[in-house]
Amino acid sequence: MSHAPIAPNWPARIAIALAALLALVTAIALAVTIGEMKIPLSTAFQALGNGVFNLGYPVSAIQQGVIFDYRLSRALLAALCGGTLALSGAILQALLRNPLAEPYILGISAGASTGAVAVMILGFGGTVLTLSGGAFLGAIAALAVVALLATGAGGSSDRVILAGVAGSQLFNAATATIVTTLANAEQARGVMFWLLGNFGGVRWPDVWVATPVALICFGICMLHAKVLDAFAFGADAAASLGVAVARVKIVLFATTAVMTATMVSIVGTVGFVGLVIPHAARFLVGPAHARLLPTCLVIGAIFMILADILSRILVPQQILPIGVVTALFGAPAFALILYRARRAT
Amino acid sequence: MTRSARGLRQSMCAVALALPFLAGGVVSAKAEATRYPLTIENCGHQVTFDKAPKRVVAIGQTQTEILYALGLGDRLVGTAVWFSPVAKRFEAANAGVKRLADNDPSFEAVVAQEPDLVTAMFEWHVGPNGIVGKRDQFAKLKVPAYVSPSDCVGKDNSGAGDGVRTQMFTMELVYRNIREFGQIFDVADKADTLIAELKAREAKAVAAVAGNGAKDIPVTVWFSSKDVKGDAFLAGKNGVPAYILAKLGARNIITTNEEWPLVGWESVAAANPAVIVVVKMDRRRFPADDIDLKLNFLKTDAVASKLDAVRNNRIVVMDVGATRAGLDTVDGIEALAKGIESFGLAK
Repeated sequence: MSHAPIAPNWPARIAIALAALLALVTAIALAVTIGEMKIPLSTAFQALGNGVFNLGYPVSAIQQGVIFDYRLSRALLAALCGGTLALSGAILQALLRNPLAEPYILGISAGASTGAVAVMILGFGGTVLTLSGGAFLGAIAALAVVALLATGAGGSSDRVILAGVAGSQLFNAATATIVTTLANAEQARGVMFWLLGNFGGVRWPDVWVATPVALICFGICMLHAKVLDAFAFGADAAASLGVAVARVKIVLFATTAVMTATMVSIVGTVGFVGLVIPHAARFLVGPAHARLLPTCLVIGAIFMILADILSRILVPQQILPIGVVTALFGAPAFALILYRARRAT
Repeated sequence: MTRSARGLRQSMCAVALALPFLAGGVVSAKAEATRYPLTIENCGHQVTFDKAPKRVVAIGQTQTEILYALGLGDRLVGTAVWFSPVAKRFEAANAGVKRLADNDPSFEAVVAQEPDLVTAMFEWHVGPNGIVGKRDQFAKLKVPAYVSPSDCVGKDNSGAGDGVRTQMFTMELVYRNIREFGQIFDVADKADTLIAELKAREAKAVAAVAGNGAKDIPVTVWFSSKDVKGDAFLAGKNGVPAYILAKLGARNIITTNEEWPLVGWESVAAANPAVIVVVKMDRRRFPADDIDLKLNFLKTDAVASKLDAVRNNRIVVMDVGATRAGLDTVDGIEALAKGIESFGLAK
């Protein structure tokens, strides 16, 4: 296997990286300036200045709060969430050699729902465990169940996926049982699903938790970029190339699980991004993971920020579930990419 | 507002027209006895009663409590869908009645009581998509089903969620419910008395805040949130809380049709309500079901704490019963009226 037949073109790489960064910053700027509350652009920048550098511009407390505490933290977390979900999807698709693999395939969202319900309705963990903490523990518990099941079943990639399906069903059933038998009747019943993705509750502390997780996990993934390329030909082929298959699998499954579980515990489940962005990125930059992984991170981030803006403004005074928006606008966009890819080949 | 104003004008006209007949003694003080078989229109269906029901299953706390208030507790053979403990004044009546389920009862649990009337407060329990049973399921067993008009008149229950009201709820729908129970059980006198009592309480609360001060003040009613800091379920423009606000001349800041739309706090900040009504409940499904967490959020959040209503401590705690169509709705009108008065917003 020759990995890089052509010498890297550094100026072009730097230009692309700068362009990606610019696109990301533009998306965040849009997210900060667009919203239900009409705030002049100059005021928005003054509020940012106040928040970041403590400049002390005279901005009303409500506008300051909306720009800095609501919109900016929300945009940054949307970026982190979209980026890590797309990254997780790319890794899982490579490890499992399945184009339908996505971050929740290992039962993480189902387990998180059960964990949240256990904390809220059963009072599990007393006052120590928060809802997010419960969701995180539930996600990890589900992952452990799926991992045991998958290992017991032989550990091949289709067995891992089947174990994930079985684990998800089990934890979903547990959640439904708890909610229907123990919660008392009340309205607002449309929302039975606990962790339907939503960025509404995001504040700065969430960003401080998610940022290091995303950066460290991204670093670990990038260190395995070449190994992932080898996995494209199957675990056996990778082993014959000198890859420590078992160790790499454990490290990478654990990394995606930590990223996904962290995001689920903060914002809930957002479908589509982790499944589709990796494919879109592959059409753009090809299958080599050294390029694919950062591309996924950036496209996922930008896509999620834009989707979140739409979820806030499409219906006046009302929030659309973010998952609806990602599918509503992502699916046609993806169809277009598929169509053009067919024409190109 | 305009609709209820028009409704008021219409009913005043009706009273004016009826006065000569009243004077002529055409309408006697004593309501007429029901003649069976009685057929009434209920949620688009004709329901016929051959005699006054003696074995009733009530699916929904509001229906149960209206029956207790009409002194019909001895006719109940089963209750279900409880939101909170039964009202104090009905505790004795409720003690002897079997509770089939706290939440949704099964179809079999209901029909096993051999009821001759099944009454529900929500169409999603008994209706086209009824999870307890559809109307024709009960009809096949010759069990008449009566759903509160408050959940089907001017309300579309075909979608998921809490339904969408196309017209604003009014207490008139609850009064119709009571009046029709009066007919069905042949207790029209008691029904009329109960309606008169509730109407008098409504009028008293409205009078307490009459004046320009409370007119058009922006108000929102916060039910709960999936995440305390996250988007909130606020009362939509046509539901029971919206009626409470309209009755007192306040303006609901939310203008969407859904019963409890999910609204971001930025939208609330944009509208900057003068009064925030916070709903208190026993349910613990979402963290923000807990009133203390809601109040704490209002005081500590970077934006919410800066809202006029919070800075001036104009927060009204309303019991969840008031947000449902029933006897307790009037409690909500009284609670908000008291709040508006105590904040000095009414003159």
